[in-house]
Amino acid sequence: MSGMAFLGLLVVFTIFVLVAQRVVLRLWRRMREQGAGALAIRLHRPRDIRWGAALLPVTIGFLVLAGTYGITNVDGTGSGNLFSAKSIPGDLFYTLLVLAAVTLYTLVQPRRAGYLAAAGLAGIGAWVLFQALVFPHYAYDYEWYGWLRDQLYFPELVLVAAACLTGGFFLTRRTIVADVRARRSGLTAQVERLARTRADAVDSAAAELRRLERDLHDGAQARLVALGINLRTAEKLIEVSPTAAAALVADCRNTATLALSELRDLVRGIYPPVLADRGLGDAIRALALDCPVLTLTDIQLPGRPPAPVESAVYFAVAEALSNAAKHAEAKTILIRATHERGMLRVQIDDDGVGGADPASGTGLAGMEQRLGAFDGILAVSSPAGGPTIVVIEVPCALSSLKTSTS
Amino acid sequence: MRVVLAEDLYLLRSGLERLLEAHGFNVIAAVDNAADLLTALVDEKPDVAIVDVRLPPTFTDEGLRAAIEGRRQVPGLPVLVLSQYVEQLYARELLADQAGAVGYLLKDRVFNDDQFTDAIRAVAGGGTVMDPEVIAKLMTRRQRDEPVTRLSAREREVLDLMAEGRSNSAIAQRLFISEKAVGKHSTSIFAKLNLAPSEDDNRRVLAVLAYLNQ
Ligand SMILES: Nc1ncnc2c1ncn2[C@@H]1O[C@H](COP(=O)(O)OP(=O)(O)OP(=O)(O)O)[C@@H](O)[C@H]1O
Ligand SMILES: [Mg+2]
Repeated sequence: MSGMAFLGLLVVFTIFVLVAQRVVLRLWRRMREQGAGALAIRLHRPRDIRWGAALLPVTIGFLVLAGTYGITNVDGTGSGNLFSAKSIPGDLFYTLLVLAAVTLYTLVQPRRAGYLAAAGLAGIGAWVLFQALVFPHYAYDYEWYGWLRDQLYFPELVLVAAACLTGGFFLTRRTIVADVRARRSGLTAQVERLARTRADAVDSAAAELRRLERDLHDGAQARLVALGINLRTAEKLIEVSPTAAAALVADCRNTATLALSELRDLVRGIYPPVLADRGLGDAIRALALDCPVLTLTDIQLPGRPPAPVESAVYFAVAEALSNAAKHAEAKTILIRATHERGMLRVQIDDDGVGGADPASGTGLAGMEQRLGAFDGILAVSSPAGGPTIVVIEVPCALSSLKTSTS
Repeated sequence: MRVVLAEDLYLLRSGLERLLEAHGFNVIAAVDNAADLLTALVDEKPDVAIVDVRLPPTFTDEGLRAAIEGRRQVPGLPVLVLSQYVEQLYARELLADQAGAVGYLLKDRVFNDDQFTDAIRAVAGGGTVMDPEVIAKLMTRRQRDEPVTRLSAREREVLDLMAEGRSNSAIAQRLFISEKAVGKHSTSIFAKLNLAPSEDDNRRVLAVLAYLNQ
């Protein structure tokens, strides 16, 4: 075997090993993540494979061309064609190795194989055209009939070049251009979605603040004013008419109690204390205990989501529970919470009458909007007759629990 | 009666201290954080401890945890937990050791000093005192249940007050009926709820709470 052949073998073998290693690693990781379904998923993507598969014929075309022009001249005679009888069996072995590697690559990276096929086809077309226009004059000009032979070959070569270039153009549009466009429109859609959810979040935050302002103004603030007035009056009455003063002071105590209970409700609506104290898991357990319908919980959260996510999810669960209690006539509710592969998931099932529709109220739609700000979703399945399943999913990381729950 | 008081806000702490002294309690330690509270509970073994749920350093449920830990180290140590809000979840955790001598009240209840001091004495005496708001929450769940719907309106009132930890005489006073009538109602309630009758006030409260908590 010549030096060139050995070098070629080395290169091809290295590529093969690298590709095979990638394939095995990827499959192993997928199997670990998804179990035995990994193989099936890999093979069930015909759309991607469609254009990638063109890489194989394009590679064969390249090899033929390379052989024709002696690039892979392995026997040192200057006339080596990869597919010529002379070079068998050595060259056939390399050829098969190359084709095997290409096939593997197509299976692992169908989309990129498509890009390569498109570029390769265009490359072949360009080379053949160049060949037709320029090269013959050098190849044959020492023969008296060279010019004539050029004229005979010329139309065929041009035809082949045109076919390859057209094919390359077509493939490029279907693979590279299509992907770039898809990515761009994906980005556009994402930008639109972000703009919308941000506007929603800002709107709902502003509305929430207005509500708080009004509640404080009409509630606790007004009561404190009344308290001040009554205390002042009591102060004046205390000498003249102690009984009247005592009655007023008792009145003040009631007012203070009312103001406190209003503030308590307000605080619950902003950031429930139990959520602040214990985190989402126990806050959901507390919701379950307070729900008038029997509510079971199965909560597997090894840590705490970021505070804004935690409170959005908390209020979504609270809404789902109050809906189940209000509309569903349910006997039992089941809440399950998990965090897997970066996704917080809470599912609320009730065995009620079903027929929930986020479009027909403000509760569910509002929660969907609020979760949207965190790329979260709220999905409802509620056929007439039930059961109703509400799923909340938010991508997020958990921080470790600072304090353990007892 | 020797009292340990844990409250981080100075105004409330001194206010409570004054109120307790005025009612003849002896405040042996007034602390403002959970670590000091636990030390005071274990070292002093007071007749009763009055504990705010939120304490430094984390301002979450530090006080509650310290109270539960204190009762783990000194079983049956009487603790009355005060909070700006009440949660059934916390009530359950307090009741979990079934040792009695425990109370859980909204801070607002302090406004009514007679009822508040009654509650302190009840807890110190081994009784169980639950805030009416906790009981109301327990009741909403139970309202749909068969056995509870079989109670008469008056029996429901008696049940509410029993669950809050009130004695027969206190219930009688509250509802303007005789103690004997309260006794009759409670026998009937226990029969309707399929609970074993009990003369001991504290056992009775625990039975009722356990029933409501199911
Ligand atoms: N768990 C459920 N079972 C049956 N029907 C439901 C359930 N949840 C919601 N629904 C129905 O879907 C509608 C929409 O619910 P949504 O929470 O959006 O609004 P709402 O509860 O009517 O009003 P709001 O929550 O704003 O006070 C409800 O009016 C109700 O008819
Ligand atoms: Mg609703």
